[in-house]
Amino acid sequence: MKPRSLMMIAILLPAMAFAEPDFSGTWIRDGAKSDVVPNTMYWLTRGVEAGGGRGRNTQTVIEVQQGTGRIQVTDPARPPRTLMLDGKPHAVPTDTGMQMATVVATMQGDTLTVSTSQPFGGMPGNATLKISETWSLSPDGKVLTIKTERELPALRQTFNEVYNRR
Amino acid sequence: MARTISRRGLFAAAAGFAAPAALGTDATIAAQTPSRSSPAGLPAVWGQDFLYQWSPPEKVTRDLKPGTSQLRLSAQVNPRLTAVKDNDYATFFSNLRAGGWSAVEAASDAWLSRPRPDSEIREVKAQAKANDVVVYGLHCAGNIIAPDPEADRWQRHIIETIHAAEALGCDLILTHAGSMYPNRNWAHPQNWSRESWTRTVNALKRICKDTAGSKVDIAIEAVNTESVNNPWAHKRLREEVGDARISVGLDITNMVHPGVAFRMTEMINTTFDLLQDQIRYVHAKDFVWNTMLPGINWAMNGTGNMDYEMFLVRLSRLQTNPYVLVEFLTENEEYAQAQRIIRSIAGKVGVKVIGTQS
Repeated sequence: MKPRSLMMIAILLPAMAFAEPDFSGTWIRDGAKSDVVPNTMYWLTRGVEAGGGRGRNTQTVIEVQQGTGRIQVTDPARPPRTLMLDGKPHAVPTDTGMQMATVVATMQGDTLTVSTSQPFGGMPGNATLKISETWSLSPDGKVLTIKTERELPALRQTFNEVYNRR
Repeated sequence: MARTISRRGLFAAAAGFAAPAALGTDATIAAQTPSRSSPAGLPAVWGQDFLYQWSPPEKVTRDLKPGTSQLRLSAQVNPRLTAVKDNDYATFFSNLRAGGWSAVEAASDAWLSRPRPDSEIREVKAQAKANDVVVYGLHCAGNIIAPDPEADRWQRHIIETIHAAEALGCDLILTHAGSMYPNRNWAHPQNWSRESWTRTVNALKRICKDTAGSKVDIAIEAVNTESVNNPWAHKRLREEVGDARISVGLDITNMVHPGVAFRMTEMINTTFDLLQDQIRYVHAKDFVWNTMLPGINWAMNGTGNMDYEMFLVRLSRLQTNPYVLVEFLTENEEYAQAQRIIRSIAGKVGVKVIGTQS
């Protein structure tokens, strides 16, 4: 290899190593490879299924637009989200509009982590629900995996969702 | 449709109407209390001429300063007090307390299903005391305004339960306004009629009269299918029965309808403001409205529409340590989960819960 090429690699390698992954795109949920998502709004009792969770055959399509320092996520199951990628806590309204959630989004290497803390269901006075999402791309950038952990004082749930790039 | 009242019903009604004279000063409460002129319900928010007021106001005050009373948690965990194997109450109360539960109640029909010798009652009291668990009440079955002659039978059951509660050293029994159907859980269309209300008042007057001198409170639990389904009805019932032993077995979730399902902070505060220390104990449940028709479903405590922070804070401001029954879950593990959440929320707002959860 020529010295000039080696020098270029030496210059570009750190930048390549620390380049943020680009999650932008239209993503189609792969129901077969994804876990069935528990209903995120309700914890019903007495044997009643909450429903509303994403099942094996759910063909959910989400849109992700990644810009400088932020990501916008459009998911048909919830209001649009704008995640600020500065690692700082941001207060945003919960889906009910009645309470506030604290959201921290950080790029860590080739993953995006989103930590959210809010009253369960977005209703006042409820138990605190902590949600941790970890977003990662396959090496070829065609598969997006989102691992979600939901933690309440009495329960911890973990599930994975796999999306294919359209 | 006209309904007939049997001779027995008429006698019961007559006895009820005559009762105030024998009940002393409490009987004058109703006479001294002016009728409420405004409708029962939460205040209008906006657009009341064309919208039901189902969203809360923009700014709802939530004063979360706790009081000093401590909560005693109770639950419908198995085994129940009425199903203790070999009467091993030492193990029963020890396990209960180890699970974080410091109060317990029993179902009236199960408790009365067999004679309880004095030795057994002494053992219950001794083991409860040794483990710092309070046996606070008997939860009554039955329907005190059922079509005759069932109403009389159930009223006598309540009277018998009060005597049993007295023997057991309980603070209270719990009963309900009742339904015009035999099955109390079915909403009869006439349950909110004047006749139904009068039958409830008279039934309770009879019960109070026949147990006069007892220190056992008669806590009424609101249920949406019955006439007492809101705090104003609770208050009026006590006034019309005219006996201070008529108190409140508060179950706010049982009062929920679409008009208040998203206004629970206000509903909780209004209820506690109205009833205050008439509240002798409470049921702790939660709910969501998650179907197209107004279908209210049970949810895990602290995850639904109840404002649990406000609820627990208001409980802590009562003058005595309230008994808090977690009910209508299924497995013991669910009750344990509910307790973890309640303790977590209580800790967040500075409300003390007696005991610890293993």
